[in-house]
Amino acid sequence: MTRLGLKEAALALLIAVLAYQVIVPFAMIIWTSLKLARPGEPDFLSLSFTFANYLRAYGGEAFWRISLNTLSFAFAATLIAFVIGAFMAWVIERTHTPLAGLIGVLLIGRIAIPGILIAISWILVASPNIGLINQMALRLAGLRNPINIYSFSGMVFVQALELVPLTYLLLGAAFKAMDPRLEEASAMTGAGHWHTLRRISLPLALPAVAAALLLLFLTTIEAFEVPLLMGTRAGMRVYTTEIFYDTSRTPVDWGLSSTYAVALLAVAIVLLFAYFRLVGHGERYQTITGKDFRPRRIDLGPWRYATCVLALALVFLITGVPFLMMLYASLLPFYQVPSTAAFASMSLDNYWTLFQNSKTVTPMINSSILGPAVATAVVLVVALISYFVQKTRLPGRRLLDFLGFAPVAIPSVVLGATFFWFYLIVPLPLIGTLTIIGLAYLTKYMPVALRFVSASMMQVHAELDEAAQVAGGSWARNFLKIMLPLLKPGLLAAWLWVMVHAYRELTIALMLARSQNRTASVVIFDLWEEGSFLRLGALAVLMFGLLSVLCALARVISARFGVEEQVA
Amino acid sequence: MARLLTASVVAATAALSAHALAQPAPLSAPEKIYAALAALPKAERSARIEQGARAEGKLVLVHTLRGALGAGHVELFHKRYPFLALDVAGEIGSQDAAERLLAEETAGRHLTDAIVTAVMDLDELIRRNQVARYPTPAVDAILPRYRAFIDPQNRWIPWFWSEHGISYNTSLVPPSQTPRQWSDLCNPFFRGAVSFDPAENRFLSGLNAMLGEAATVRLLECIGKNDPIVQRGHTQRMELMLAGDHMVQGDNYLYQGVAMQRKNSATPFAIVYSAPILATNDVAAINRNAPNPYAAALFADWTLSAESQAYLAKQLRGPVGLPHPYLPDNVTLIDNIDPPKETMDRLLAAWFRHVEKPR
Repeated sequence: MTRLGLKEAALALLIAVLAYQVIVPFAMIIWTSLKLARPGEPDFLSLSFTFANYLRAYGGEAFWRISLNTLSFAFAATLIAFVIGAFMAWVIERTHTPLAGLIGVLLIGRIAIPGILIAISWILVASPNIGLINQMALRLAGLRNPINIYSFSGMVFVQALELVPLTYLLLGAAFKAMDPRLEEASAMTGAGHWHTLRRISLPLALPAVAAALLLLFLTTIEAFEVPLLMGTRAGMRVYTTEIFYDTSRTPVDWGLSSTYAVALLAVAIVLLFAYFRLVGHGERYQTITGKDFRPRRIDLGPWRYATCVLALALVFLITGVPFLMMLYASLLPFYQVPSTAAFASMSLDNYWTLFQNSKTVTPMINSSILGPAVATAVVLVVALISYFVQKTRLPGRRLLDFLGFAPVAIPSVVLGATFFWFYLIVPLPLIGTLTIIGLAYLTKYMPVALRFVSASMMQVHAELDEAAQVAGGSWARNFLKIMLPLLKPGLLAAWLWVMVHAYRELTIALMLARSQNRTASVVIFDLWEEGSFLRLGALAVLMFGLLSVLCALARVISARFGVEEQVA
Repeated sequence: MARLLTASVVAATAALSAHALAQPAPLSAPEKIYAALAALPKAERSARIEQGARAEGKLVLVHTLRGALGAGHVELFHKRYPFLALDVAGEIGSQDAAERLLAEETAGRHLTDAIVTAVMDLDELIRRNQVARYPTPAVDAILPRYRAFIDPQNRWIPWFWSEHGISYNTSLVPPSQTPRQWSDLCNPFFRGAVSFDPAENRFLSGLNAMLGEAATVRLLECIGKNDPIVQRGHTQRMELMLAGDHMVQGDNYLYQGVAMQRKNSATPFAIVYSAPILATNDVAAINRNAPNPYAAALFADWTLSAESQAYLAKQLRGPVGLPHPYLPDNVTLIDNIDPPKETMDRLLAAWFRHVEKPR
């Protein structure tokens, strides 16, 4: 095969993967939304269509109220998460703030805690009557329930904290790959840190900023645990809870659920076009060129202690509070508010019970296979997408980006159902295997990973690829030996994100689970359904420890083989 | 314990049967096997089933008793019949189990042998004639008070029942305010302190069976005026209530509170025995196209065995072959059968209008 042929083969393979993994599920969702028959019924495959589901879904006042709830929730959570995440990324990656490395590890370690436990932890901290904060307010100041987590602001607060690690990972990768000479040039003209940050650093990170805003917004629209556990009690219904309730009845109204998913898709398309317009001139953001550079940290002087204290306080809120709540609960025989009696009753029983259950071993092995395998596959696919979109002049290349990103609009429950239905209808023997879950995860996690890698790819100057070609390197060699190493911050962030999320993902795993392909998250769900919050807390503490070690190792590897070494 | 409302069960069975009776479908291969088995003497029948199951060597089951509870039950079955390879999905709920079988069969894939589900969730499967008729003498083990759960057309095998009722936190509710009846959920003393799950057909159908439609709507209206808590998750609501979050469970499983109290006698939990308790008939149903019909039959029969029933009682669930492990005999039970669809639609509308008011 010629050099050009290999590149074309990679492109053809990529198109095939995207068609199979993205177009098929979308076609299925849109098709189902236009049908009253269920998948599998004779009329389902006929060419007669109806807009009845759209009239039912969008025709009532309820839909517009739910839309308003969803969009205002997403907007508020995005804004707060972005501000906090950007601050954390800057402090950790670009300043000499003490303990920055530790703060980064603790922040990323947060993603190891399943979302459902985060929501429960905050309920125990800030719910009326039993929440720790309200208890303290009553005891110390005689105030009755000054805080109510079951409210719009409570939902926004918890969701925003949930999103900060994602913001940090996205912006941190971009900050790390920033050429400091541009900032030095700014400083030499007399601009201060703040001016340089505002006029140089942030504009250079625009692709990552736009990607972060886009992803945060869409991730919040797709968020489920917080709206379910807090929003239901607050009377705030959003798209995902509506879809959940639609699919919680027998027979499930797949037509209506798919119609809601189409609404999400419409929102995603609008935002994606806005994103493309915003980052339309990719060459403006290229900071990694053939010239040597080392990302430089900013010396804040005595202010570094202030940033340290603030960052520690934030990481305490984001990671510390839920972790400590789970640690506390995992040591109790039954949940009780902190008291002398509660501390006296503590033991390690919940941990022992966990280890004694042999049925947790296989699912843990399954997840340990799925997580890294899916993360690797996703990262390879999105690296190829990013490359073809940004470093070639292929006609229609933006379509690849769109296809890779579009699944962000599919709620997990609909995605899981689509894969289940598809492999029921298509006679491939994948039902009950890890492969079917892996394929669904490939689709689910492509969008986030794509934005991670895409933002990094935008910073790599095309001259590096061109120089390699002039030097006679094959396309495959250039891609593997030059492009991928240069993208390491983004690739590593994406890999970590996907690995941890694939490890702990629940909705899809549950829909596709059989006896042989149960994952760790299904065990978590079992414990949750059993009401074993305390044992669940023990499991989460262990998972947090394990995944924090993995994150720390990844950071060490990143520091050893990151941008610094590759370009120096 | 009061007998179930037999008349209402018969009415429900008739409603579920109407479609099938109007258009009798030809017997499927498993149903032919079951019809032939029914003609055999009991001992020979059992031997034939076991022999057939041995030859099949496998059972694909959706078991909706969750977590350790379901796993323990399956383990017991496997211990009894170790020659069967078990493919058990045990992490989904009753409605999801019915939906999964429905999806598979609609797509023409015959993957699952049997499911454990609440009888009301079988409605759509029965309407589509996807549940096998399985006459079995195993139902002889069912106590007289629960015999109303048996289907005259043999489409399900009742083997336990679930109780939903009112319970409260004894630390928060003084003896003078203890709720006695369902109407007490409207007591202004409990304003903002009574919790429910989001709309549940089984709860509404239970109220309807107990009170009739008009009175149910009136009850929902007055509950709604009392600013109820609507929060997803039976177990979590129970835990929150016992931790002091609110006073009363307007509707929830009762066994969880009993289990917590047995684990720790200081748990502030009490059941309102004076208010009727809503009972859900939980059954085993065999796929009309079960790939392993003998193994499915073996499991269905075993659910009513002494060891299976004793296991349920030990786990505080409601066996049908043994007295209830903690509910007193004089408690009133209401079978929460599904009313006609139009009635349920009106009840759901009333629920959303009064109780679960969206904002």
